[in-house]
Amino acid sequence: MNPKTRRLLIRNFLLELLVYAVLLTVYFLLALRFLGEPLSKLFHLNPIVYAGASLVLIVVQGVALEWITSFLIVRLGLERLE
Amino acid sequence: MDFPISGVTINPFFLIGIGFVVGLLGGFFGVGGGFLAGPLMFWSGVPMNFVVGTDLAHMTGKSIVAAKRHRTLGHVDVRLGIVMTLGTLIGVEIGARIIEALKAAGNIDHVIGITYIVILLAISGFTAWESISALRLSHHQTADEARKDVVAFGRLTQVVQSIHLWPMIAFPGSGIEAISLWVVVGIGLLTGILAGSLGVGGGFLRMPLLIYVIGVPTHVAVGTDLFEIMFSAGYGTLTHAVKGNVDILMALVMHTGAALGAQIGAMSTRYFAGPRIRLLFSLLPLIGAILVLVRLLGVDMPAF
Repeated sequence: MNPKTRRLLIRNFLLELLVYAVLLTVYFLLALRFLGEPLSKLFHLNPIVYAGASLVLIVVQGVALEWITSFLIVRLGLERLE
Repeated sequence: MDFPISGVTINPFFLIGIGFVVGLLGGFFGVGGGFLAGPLMFWSGVPMNFVVGTDLAHMTGKSIVAAKRHRTLGHVDVRLGIVMTLGTLIGVEIGARIIEALKAAGNIDHVIGITYIVILLAISGFTAWESISALRLSHHQTADEARKDVVAFGRLTQVVQSIHLWPMIAFPGSGIEAISLWVVVGIGLLTGILAGSLGVGGGFLRMPLLIYVIGVPTHVAVGTDLFEIMFSAGYGTLTHAVKGNVDILMALVMHTGAALGAQIGAMSTRYFAGPRIRLLFSLLPLIGAILVLVRLLGVDMPAF
């Protein structure tokens, strides 16, 4: 890989990280704002449902947001580093 | 920021920072990072039960992100990961029961702590010695040979791969033509027992064993270890959440930093040869040993 292509791909990767970081931050702020109280109640009332909800929330934050990022990166026409 | 589930007030940027550092280490070295995140969370005022559960929850998300990235780089042997996971999950359960039995017998914190320090120092010393030897070896090789993952301690792998105990299984993703299924399950079991009895995820035990015993290339060992952590940490999250040990809001904040760190860490492995990754890895158990020693000596840390 020549240096110019490498620089371009690294720039694209950093752009991808930036988009991902914004989505991650928005997600946790929304979760804290709207799910804080319901989750707190669920924690005390129904631990099994709380456990399932916890796993779903953390997986969604990692995976679904990455899919959205990938979708946006494709729409922006940026080539990925892999 | 107040976290109503655990009843803790803590600076969210500190949590994001912890997440980012352990995410970076996890993505690059294939470890969960609990040995580092755990003490830092505890020192910042999070109750111990929430430290364990919340750390596992953020580790689940981070390992999924990092393993996914490693998979796109061709660094995950899914078949090997699944076979080892079977052994690991059974081993963790056995390890947890051993620890319960020992606890019932008396105060064993110091015994576990000292055992832990000895194991960590042994892993650190051995990995550092081997990787330096491998780097010296790679200086005498051609460019093509140097691109391959050079390991200076291959005898154990040869002995292990020569055990023909039915059923034999191939792991093409790791370049292993045939190895006894029992060897792989046994190594998963061993790391599971150690991890379960020492109260850690076990990534820094499993990574060297994958490389030196099974013969997996370093990059694939990193990715496959993360693939395995997805299941073990996911299972741990569920069981700890049911027991009331997970503050998912805190985990989401930590995971914001961890997911970014994991992406950068995983991508960085592309630019490092196997021996260099192992040499840097050898520092991790050393840090872990120092943190355990500090805890054993009862040193107070400032709260955040």
